[in-house]
Amino acid sequence: MRNWLIRLRNALRPSRLNRDLDREMRFHIKERVEELQESGISADAAVRLAHQQFGNYTAQVERTRDMDISERLDAMLRNLRLALRTLAKTPGFTATVVITLALGIGANSAVFSAINAILLRPLPFPNADRLVRVTQYQPKVWLPLLAAVRLEEWNRMNHTFEAISGYFTQDDSELSGDLPEKVTHAFVAPRFLQVLRVAPALGRDFAPAEEHFGGPSAVIISDRYWRRRFGANPNVVGKTLRLGQWVNPIIGVMPASFLFEDRDVDLWSVSPPDAPYAQRRDTTWYTAVGRMKPGVTIAQARADLEAVQADLGHEFPKTDAQIRPGVEPLKEVTIGGVKRSLWIVFGAVTLLLLIACTNIAALLLSRAAGRGHEIAVRFSLGASRVSVAAQLLTEVLILAVAGAAAGLGLAAAAARVFAVLAKDLPRVDEIGLDWRIVLYSLICAVVATFACGLVPAILGTRRSLAGSLASSGRSQLSGRHPIQFVLVGVQVALAVTLLAGAGLLLRSFQELGRVSPGFEADHVLTMQVSANWGETSDPKSAWQTMNRIVNGIRAVPGVESAAASFSLPGVPGTFPVELKVSEGRAETEPKVVAESRVATPSFFQTMRIPLLAGDMCRDGSYGTSMMVNRLFAKTYFRGADVIGKHLGQPGSIYFPTAVVRGIVGDARERGLDQESVPTVYYCGGYIQPGLYFMARTHNAPMTAAESIRRKLHEIEPQRSVYGLSPLAAHLSDAFAENRLRTVLLTFFALTAISLACVGLYGTMSYLVHIRQREVGLRLALGAIRGMILRQFLGQGMRVSLLGCAAGLALAAAFTRLLSGMLFGVSPWDAPTMIGVAVLVIAVSIAASLVPAIRASHVEPMQVLRDE
Amino acid sequence: MNTKKNDILQGTLALLILKSLAAHKRLHGYAITAHIHNVSDQLLRVEEGSLYPALHRMEQAGWIRAEWGTTEKNREARFYSLTSLGRKQLTEEQESWQRLTEGVARVLRYA
Repeated sequence: MRNWLIRLRNALRPSRLNRDLDREMRFHIKERVEELQESGISADAAVRLAHQQFGNYTAQVERTRDMDISERLDAMLRNLRLALRTLAKTPGFTATVVITLALGIGANSAVFSAINAILLRPLPFPNADRLVRVTQYQPKVWLPLLAAVRLEEWNRMNHTFEAISGYFTQDDSELSGDLPEKVTHAFVAPRFLQVLRVAPALGRDFAPAEEHFGGPSAVIISDRYWRRRFGANPNVVGKTLRLGQWVNPIIGVMPASFLFEDRDVDLWSVSPPDAPYAQRRDTTWYTAVGRMKPGVTIAQARADLEAVQADLGHEFPKTDAQIRPGVEPLKEVTIGGVKRSLWIVFGAVTLLLLIACTNIAALLLSRAAGRGHEIAVRFSLGASRVSVAAQLLTEVLILAVAGAAAGLGLAAAAARVFAVLAKDLPRVDEIGLDWRIVLYSLICAVVATFACGLVPAILGTRRSLAGSLASSGRSQLSGRHPIQFVLVGVQVALAVTLLAGAGLLLRSFQELGRVSPGFEADHVLTMQVSANWGETSDPKSAWQTMNRIVNGIRAVPGVESAAASFSLPGVPGTFPVELKVSEGRAETEPKVVAESRVATPSFFQTMRIPLLAGDMCRDGSYGTSMMVNRLFAKTYFRGADVIGKHLGQPGSIYFPTAVVRGIVGDARERGLDQESVPTVYYCGGYIQPGLYFMARTHNAPMTAAESIRRKLHEIEPQRSVYGLSPLAAHLSDAFAENRLRTVLLTFFALTAISLACVGLYGTMSYLVHIRQREVGLRLALGAIRGMILRQFLGQGMRVSLLGCAAGLALAAAFTRLLSGMLFGVSPWDAPTMIGVAVLVIAVSIAASLVPAIRASHVEPMQVLRDE
Repeated sequence: MNTKKNDILQGTLALLILKSLAAHKRLHGYAITAHIHNVSDQLLRVEEGSLYPALHRMEQAGWIRAEWGTTEKNREARFYSLTSLGRKQLTEEQESWQRLTEGVARVLRYA
């Protein structure tokens, strides 16, 4: 206890206090010395005597200071006790305020926890600010992946990086068990764990020999896979995994926090860059990541790699002259586009907290006016204005801290809900409660205290007001309290802003639902089958494998047709390509740039994309024939002219020259919210990691899932089938972030308007209460009840109409922030704005009606007798 | 340190300080000791060790308030003065003191 007190005292010991005490005591001693000298004592003796009389100087200072501090503590405790007592006397009020604050602070902290985890915290690697994504940009190639040889050259020739490494993933089947198990397998370049600076929790990193072609094979497994597959067996190192025809010994287990590149990766192994098949300069496969040396900026690193690449361009002009390196912070790349959504949601939730505070301020103001007597009594007992205000603020602080504590609990629960709702957001696994969230909630509480409490504390402690209330009590006609109506108006305005934003997002969703995408997503089941990149080296066999699987799916009862495609229609993704026309094209005509897709000919039938002209491709192997959409034919050719033309990039392995067989309907391939664009479909395809298979089913898609899985196990026992889900689910997932944003904003907006209504109702009720006598008097003098009703209702409506107008003006200014997120509506969409205004006016009529009716039913005799 | 008979009884110091401040509008700590010393005809002497803790406790209780000022000799000193709460406290303490001394006197007279 003593210890604690000493610590508290140290914490509270301001140096100014010490200096003041020192000055005061020195003055005393000086005066004493002077007096002693005047009585004839020598200077030295006087000083000695004065000090002797004063006693132990340091002890005096300390005792005096203790007095100050303990009294300050006492005053604080007194305030606290009194505040608790006062609050306990009005449990309804206390509960309302605490719940309002808990909702406000809780929602705010929950969103902040997401912002903290996703945007603010560094990536979970040591010195993560030095990690960058390294890319090679090349004209006509949309995926900025890095070739293995070039990765090694960049790593060797640069001066600004500690190391550069890279990775790519594929789905593999692990074959030690009875059934093949699908695993996500990341192939990494050498130095991978040195770049990220994370060591395995068990076992070791790859040895140099294991990073070379022909060296011993080795895998490191993820914590999740270790638990799932090996039950967290501590002796797992040395056991083996069978991946395809390879047997791989496990050399290490990564810590649970290591989720790179995402939580799905089960194991990592080295793809040696010195392998003969990795020496081509024009095949690219690594997503590269580098660690810059300390103190190096992004610009310096980029300039360095540009110099390196310029040298390579001289050495290999054919392949390297046009390549440009790219360097971006890894964190920015990881977060991607969710930044704006998160800040918008955070803005919305902060507005909500502001509304909650305004609401509470209005409540407190009414309460302070009701407590005029009590405050006046305390003034007359000599309390200073500061101490009364401190007392009022202490009450609010208790409310705010209670609200923050409840809010924190709510935030913890909400963060979990958030993590489920937002499972597709990057870094969502890192969301959780940490000291920053607690600190943030506390800061919210303190800010809320001042925001809510300051105005009532200042107005409530005006001596003149207190004095007048003391003398004439309640019977005096109170003013109109414009400040309270301003507060209510502010709430309405903020709620209208939120409602307008939510309304626009909802309308966008509605519009999205009306879009006809050009294909039918219902009754389509999609799935993937494990494969590895090695299989693509034999295109013929890879094509046959794909067809075998498609035909297998097609043969399952209940399946109407089956297809394979490199991408799913309507799921965002864009693969633009520039094509040359073999038959020639005038210089004056625009370049042929189109979206490119690869699909089996059965794709169009399965997706119900109609054939408009020409013939359907035959089942030729990849790269001999193609279909184009109507828009492509119309944009670059005069419609059917396009049939029979040869398009492609001469010499390219990805875009071989192929003949156009026919024209199909326009489909929104790049996303439901994206207009169709000129598109070419290469017919064919081949098995490779990430290839989608799709089946049109007679019944609900998932009913066929099990028989398809069994059938595929029959024909391809070495492969695992995974990701069986309806196409509709993929389309809906594509809008997960969009929907989350909409759901949250709508929820906040509805909460906001409810709070504003509570505020309006409370203020109107209070007004009716204090003007009871006036109303009674007027009724006694012959006023008509309807007039009283109209008058009170009118007052409520004036406030909400003004608030509404202000809110719409605010909305007009702020909804521009949403413009990139809207679909089919403008940021000033009139139906939305009118709808919001009508809604707000309707609910504010409801909120003012009850108090107004109560006012008009005042019994004059009753009121006059009561006074 | 030997106990002197004219040291001030615990608890009466506050009363003496309040009374001194009631007589003069504002006094610094040293002047309060001097005032008590002089007015009591050198009978009472305020122990410096208890003066400042008492002054600061009374200040925190709101009976007196303090502010920095300068003396006639142009020195910086902390001046104390009564608040309305202190005035009320003085009346109360004076009454209770009178009751106490009267009671003690009666007991002594009886013996």
